[in-house]
Amino acid sequence: MTVLTSLAKALAAYSMTPQQLTVYRHLHISSKPIVIVPLTLAGETNAPLAAMVGPDRARPTLIVTRQPRDRAERIEFAGRLASELLFPIETAAQQTQATGAGPNARVRVVDAPQLWVPNPAGIEFVRTLGRMTRLRFIEGPWAVPKKVRDLGIWLTWFAEQAEFADTGALIAATQAIAAVWATGQSDLEDGNLAAQMAWLAPPEGMDVAAAVSRAENPQLCPPAGPSTDPTFDRLFLEPALRDLATARTPAAHNAVHRRLTAMVEEQMRPTWELVWTAIDLLRDVPEAPRVPKRWEQQRDRFTSFHRYVADGGRPQAKRDSAGRSAHRLAELEQRMAAFEAQRAYDDPLVIADHRLTGEAFAGHVVDVDAARRVPGLRRNVLRPMVTVATGDQIHLDVGQHMYDPARNGQQAVIESVIETEDGWRIELELQNQMGSGLTAKPGSVPALGEDVTYTSVTETFVRRRPWPTRDETPWTHGGPPPDSTPVVEDAAEDWS
Amino acid sequence: MPETMDELEERISLLRGHIRQALAAGDRAAVPRLRAELRTAELSWDSALLESDDSVPAPSPSGTLPAGMSLFPVREQVHQVLTVLGVAAAPRLIVATHEALFAGGLIATKLASLRRDEERSFRAAPYSRPYYVCAALAADQLVAVRGLLAISTWPLDRRIMGPLSPRVDFLTAAIRLVRHLQTTGELGPQSIRLLWPFTNNIPGASGPAEEFEPSRLIAAAQAELRIHEESDRQQREAAAERARRLSDAEQLFGGEQLKAVRSVTKR
Amino acid sequence: MSVVDERLNALRGAAPRKPHNARTLAALAANPGCRRRTLLDAAGIDKGQIAEGLGVRISIGQMSSIAIARGKGFEAKVKADGCAELLRLLREHIGLPVPEVHYHDLNPADADDRITSRLRRSQRALQASAESNEPTGTLFDHPILQLTVNGVQVRIEPDLIAFKLGNQFFIVEIKSFAILDGTADSGKVAAAAQQSAVYVLAMREMLQTAGLDPAMVSDQVVLVCPKDFSNHPVAELLDVRKQLATLKRQLDRMESVESLLRLLPPDLSFDPRLDAAGRPTRDPQELAAAIFQVTARYSPECLGACELGGVCRAEVSGMVPVLGRVVREDLGGIDSIKEAVELATGLREPDAGQQQAADLLRRAYGMREAALGAVR
Repeated sequence: MTVLTSLAKALAAYSMTPQQLTVYRHLHISSKPIVIVPLTLAGETNAPLAAMVGPDRARPTLIVTRQPRDRAERIEFAGRLASELLFPIETAAQQTQATGAGPNARVRVVDAPQLWVPNPAGIEFVRTLGRMTRLRFIEGPWAVPKKVRDLGIWLTWFAEQAEFADTGALIAATQAIAAVWATGQSDLEDGNLAAQMAWLAPPEGMDVAAAVSRAENPQLCPPAGPSTDPTFDRLFLEPALRDLATARTPAAHNAVHRRLTAMVEEQMRPTWELVWTAIDLLRDVPEAPRVPKRWEQQRDRFTSFHRYVADGGRPQAKRDSAGRSAHRLAELEQRMAAFEAQRAYDDPLVIADHRLTGEAFAGHVVDVDAARRVPGLRRNVLRPMVTVATGDQIHLDVGQHMYDPARNGQQAVIESVIETEDGWRIELELQNQMGSGLTAKPGSVPALGEDVTYTSVTETFVRRRPWPTRDETPWTHGGPPPDSTPVVEDAAEDWS
Repeated sequence: MPETMDELEERISLLRGHIRQALAAGDRAAVPRLRAELRTAELSWDSALLESDDSVPAPSPSGTLPAGMSLFPVREQVHQVLTVLGVAAAPRLIVATHEALFAGGLIATKLASLRRDEERSFRAAPYSRPYYVCAALAADQLVAVRGLLAISTWPLDRRIMGPLSPRVDFLTAAIRLVRHLQTTGELGPQSIRLLWPFTNNIPGASGPAEEFEPSRLIAAAQAELRIHEESDRQQREAAAERARRLSDAEQLFGGEQLKAVRSVTKR
Repeated sequence: MSVVDERLNALRGAAPRKPHNARTLAALAANPGCRRRTLLDAAGIDKGQIAEGLGVRISIGQMSSIAIARGKGFEAKVKADGCAELLRLLREHIGLPVPEVHYHDLNPADADDRITSRLRRSQRALQASAESNEPTGTLFDHPILQLTVNGVQVRIEPDLIAFKLGNQFFIVEIKSFAILDGTADSGKVAAAAQQSAVYVLAMREMLQTAGLDPAMVSDQVVLVCPKDFSNHPVAELLDVRKQLATLKRQLDRMESVESLLRLLPPDLSFDPRLDAAGRPTRDPQELAAAIFQVTARYSPECLGACELGGVCRAEVSGMVPVLGRVVREDLGGIDSIKEAVELATGLREPDAGQQQAADLLRRAYGMREAALGAVR
């Protein structure tokens, strides 16, 4: 957290209204999001109890297991969830376009699916359900339907994508909201979707304080899951499960199951509505300029993973090999750094954070030498000099590279830093993005008196030495990993 | 006047709402009553549905009795199982063994009250039955061991539980079970499932092959048994010597009997 | 009865005593500066009842009945047949020799088995085992332990097994959360480690009191959990050295209950005066006034760890701590939210100690307004 975020929280608590943390929304919102609200049985390891799922707020699909402790029922649950999710995945994969005109053009899906869950625990549910189903066999004595295994592979992919800071594949509503707004409560309380949404969209005629107090009452606002409310478990769920187990005829079983369905629906429906309200609220926030580009990359990732699955790709291993872990870690860092820089370039409130920590400054141009040239290797090169006066506190040194978010990250080097009565004067030598001639492209050099911002945060990633390929994994990291193939023990894994 | 299905349905959701409101308002005192009402409504709903449903419930397969029914009273079924096992055992093992060897249908909850009933009967008219299902005694305090059932006609030291006895009895039960299964015929999947905790938890009992080998289990159990047997026997006999000073009822159902029984039946 | 015990009983009044357990001790150690919790726990006061008496709903500490049943079922399975499963795990994981299968049941012999007599029995059994060179008494099921907290002896009744291997005692914790592909929920493992540290410390204290070497109790704890999605137990060794060090430091730092009592009026009572149905009848304002005489140290984490979390949150409403520790640090030690906002907006002049924080807040506020104003 930063001082700006903490200040926003204080302002929110003081005024009892949420405060924007960013001017823009940095998350792509699909035109057809798919929401999943899962519930699990307490005490078990990810035993699905029920889920509300679908792309249509008005008509959710309700999946309720007939006996959450039963292995066959879990497969049945996964199968029904697969029917809901694999269809939009396939549909999206079928509609593609070329990435360009040249011979190197690839194919990219027009749109990729986007899944929403209420909270980070929902992402864990997706990950664990993926782990539970992807290693099954689709033939032999422990066979499950192919769609169950495919669901496992896809859920695992979505959960892995969710680890990346810039993801748009699988989103937890609480986190998406917290990225844009500060409420006047702690992060811990914001983890409860109902309490968080009480600040942003209190029920008609209710003020925020009353809405928050209502939201913390699990009888009025059931928990967003996947864990259920202990009181609900004791008073409603446990008796229903007992009746299910003792029901002797199919008719009685159906009767109890209908009762169970009605009561879990009551538990999920409020959360379902809240997730959709959250999506609507976020959609109303203007999108940051660099969002479409990032979404394009996400569509590429979806396209290539779909091809992998379609070509009969193996399910992901239980544990990453040393090489893959290192790869992933590097990718996590790189995408996080790029995302952070892109947000800063796009959003004045994010760059303000960097100004407060001294990694950026804003000021106005007090001197410009737009035609300045310096000797290069063979001939003189254009290196305009710009002097900026700023009142920001800076922690920058001569020789440091700075970038101009307003000019697509144009690079400049600090030539001098002089303290003045009301701040600092900084001389910067511009280094690129001015065209190839000896005079600068119009607009590529800031004008006298112009308000400018420079930051040391950069979008360009310095690539390190390439990672060894799979077969070149050094012995220190276990050597080339054996192919990960699910074994019979995985397929026969006990789920009690 | 019985309510219609629809009326019941409405009442159930109404009651659920009431309970939630009571909880939301912090009125905990009202909840148990509402909960009881809800339970009644749910039960009448289920039975109303059964009545309205003209499809006949699936008949149980011929030749077996419906679940929960047996030709023998519970105490006799328990006696049957314990005689095979030859050692004091917990309800869990008794039920599993009964399921694998006999018709099944023994319910664990029914065993909970069995020892108390037996004790009552013994105290009312001692030795009027040929045997009693009784307790195992803790070697140190000579009180009844929680949750274990034994047979009164066994030698007293077999019903004593010293520090090594749980393991010795576990190994003994394994050997006796396999022998019993071998004499009665093939080892089916149900028997193998019954023997799984033994096979899995006795060193050397499971071979490298997938196949279950009865002789291997017996050999492994005997090998470990030889290690503990002698010390266990001495400890049990010493404790049995002390236990003989107790009254007959205490010898069967444990010292401080009343209290001890209560803790067994407490759930 | 000591003077301290008498005062603590007076504080509790007629309400039934709620003993400490490892979870409450671990939570106490997580927020050692909270006098309110320290005192109420030492007096065995049911904090949930107090919260209810003050009209604040509590959902802390409630466990799903379904989860409890599953946990008990798993524990019973691990301990079934003379701990057959557990013995196999211990043989596989820490090389427990085959002859060591002794089992010592320290569970209550019956419903009337008093905790003091169980404590004595546990102490006798464990001490005898500690002094002996023979491999007797390998497994001790459900011993009662005792730990000195705030100068008061607290009895704890862990759901666990202690066992001796060679010259070392180990503690076995059976938990029903899964170890999935070799890893488990880090929060749950951390909680288990913290609780285990309480047990290790209590057992060491017991040996030390008996003049034996406390180092006989290993700082490696055996954690037994279900494997993946199944009901089959697996064991992992858990190193609790760090938790032990933290716990010890915090127990040492805690004020003694005796000195806390000295600060309070002698007739103070926290009795919520329950009626026959268990409902509090004491005037909430009067009860609140009594409770607020002892200072609390609230942070949002209390909401997940203490039944009084909601009460203390309401008490400090409008203060920076309700927003969390990080915000508190970011706002440079300013306590009141109103004050922080007024300093940021320039409505209030900072006093001497606030100058630096106020400068930062004012600049932040200026940037925020400019950024939002540009797009408005």
